[in-house]
Amino acid sequence: MVLRWIPWALGALVAFLALGPALGPGHVLRFDMVFVPDPSLRAVLSGADGFPRAIPSDAVVAALSTVLPGHVVQSLALTSVFVLGVAGAFRLLTGLVYGRGPVPATGLAAGAVTGLAYVWNPFVAERLLLGQWAVLLGYAGLPWVLAAVVRLASFPPARGFAGLVCALAPAAVGGFSSVVLSALTAGPTALRRWRDAGLLLLALVLLSLPWLVPSLVSGAATDPAGVEAFAARSDTPFGALGSLLLLGGVWNAGAVPPGYGEPVTAALKALTVVVALAGWVWWSWRARPVVAVGLSVSAVLGLVIALAGVLVPGPLAALIDLWPGFGPLRDGQLYVAPLSLLQSLGLGAAVLWLLRALPGTTSAAGPPAPGMGRLVTTVLLGLSPVVTLPGLLWGANGGLVPVEYPPAWREAQAAVAADERPGAVLVLPWSAYRGPAWSGEPVVVLDPATKLFDRRTLWNDDLRVGTPDGGTVVVTGEDPRARQVAEPLDLDSETGMPGVESAELPELLGSTGVRYVAVSAPVDHGLSEVEGLSLVVEGTDMALFEIDDGYVEATPENGSVVVVAGALTSLGTLLWAVFAIIREESRRRGPAEGPGTGT
Amino acid sequence: MIKVIAACVIGAALAGGATVVATNLATESTATAEPVNETLYNYGDR
Repeated sequence: MVLRWIPWALGALVAFLALGPALGPGHVLRFDMVFVPDPSLRAVLSGADGFPRAIPSDAVVAALSTVLPGHVVQSLALTSVFVLGVAGAFRLLTGLVYGRGPVPATGLAAGAVTGLAYVWNPFVAERLLLGQWAVLLGYAGLPWVLAAVVRLASFPPARGFAGLVCALAPAAVGGFSSVVLSALTAGPTALRRWRDAGLLLLALVLLSLPWLVPSLVSGAATDPAGVEAFAARSDTPFGALGSLLLLGGVWNAGAVPPGYGEPVTAALKALTVVVALAGWVWWSWRARPVVAVGLSVSAVLGLVIALAGVLVPGPLAALIDLWPGFGPLRDGQLYVAPLSLLQSLGLGAAVLWLLRALPGTTSAAGPPAPGMGRLVTTVLLGLSPVVTLPGLLWGANGGLVPVEYPPAWREAQAAVAADERPGAVLVLPWSAYRGPAWSGEPVVVLDPATKLFDRRTLWNDDLRVGTPDGGTVVVTGEDPRARQVAEPLDLDSETGMPGVESAELPELLGSTGVRYVAVSAPVDHGLSEVEGLSLVVEGTDMALFEIDDGYVEATPENGSVVVVAGALTSLGTLLWAVFAIIREESRRRGPAEGPGTGT
Repeated sequence: MIKVIAACVIGAALAGGATVVATNLATESTATAEPVNETLYNYGDR
């Protein structure tokens, strides 16, 4: 019984080592990772008019924040990535090797190595430093999804489907990228039987409804310029392909963990990858695990997708231009996730080889006791993920530090929340990313003001990406209403502030349904003297202005019916699945625990 | 059992030493983001 908790305990330990100070009081802000105190569920459901990228992850955060402090919710989300990832990969390997039978100590060692390798690698570190916790939550669920697909063959359809839905819960929270990764990782394995493939597709669709339906009806477009901006890049001396094989290659140089890619650590990492791939080939050949072909196909397919933005950017951009549904393919490095799972299992298999512990490959007398050299090598191999990537240790070496929001931010949030009248908040300067001085160490982050208020917030969702030649690629945003409000303001591209006559601002903004203007950076905004604008809160890095009521033509923002209906359908499916599994387990255990069963 | 514990100690010591060396190599190499101006930033730089 105690042994069942080993994967979870190991996951908690790894989470503590990786996150460290990030688990303390305060909110960790970094690139896309924005948590705010008391987030509003209503605001999330009102959302934006473009692609609903924040659904359902932000909705889940907002719902949890009604019962827990915001920083606790963030710590839970980040910790879940490591705990679920370690436990899932650990159990996947031991389940594939030993089935439901007892797992010997050597198997536990191999499982632990698999679990550690799955969450301690460049992919996790770079996505964490990019702030994409929701993607990582889906990534953590991949081994669970693959295991659930494998189990479909041994359960009645309803029971197998319920298990699959539960395994997909992290991906459902993570949103579209997580669901796509789940399909890529488990799809080829599920295709062994049409029934399994059908059940997987049904589960993915049912759990994707909160973002799938609005994205289909919104007519959202995706800018093909994103291919050039978000294609994989080389972050090691081995080029883009080598970097991707090592599970790195994220587009953003600022998301590379400290020290990663140096020749020595990169060479050590490459050696580990070679051992892992050799372990995978050896295990696949000797034991023929049921996922061998499917996961190999997933990994190769993922690598091809990851390279598409590098090798054939033109055709990929044309595809995205043709249909925005191809948009998720622009961030290529994301798709090495199945390769990461394959390498983790391969490293675990290498440990089994070193310890001569793979069932069926030893004599009837049992495996010979491994020598000291093999044992030391096993320990070194097991810890190699940390040795080759020390930059992830203890909050990514200071890259993940919690901070408190300045009082003016909370005052602005409270002032808007206290106002029952309808009307949106416009966030200035007109640029999505900030480097707030109050965040301690300079760190780039999506402006937290975009998620601070309990109503529709209009902000510039264009994405500016710097290129190595000193240029800039601008990926056009997806919120048409934001474009509509911004257009008459003649916004200065350098300062992000309106260029129109100040006296015209209240009417221009009020007529488009804006009631508040939040200036979320320490700039000389020049709005204090404008007639028709009333200063509500002023701090060094947050000023909130209210547009006089006479100018505002706003109607109440209602939550999107399709989003709510989709969310309720997904939630209902998930609750049914949990209930079905509990009922089935109770029924299964009932007779077994009765007298006279002899078990 | 003693052999296993000894192997763990030796392996962990070697791994720890290698991690320290790698960490030292890692310093001074953190990428920093350049602001567009004093208050606005790119999403990131390639």
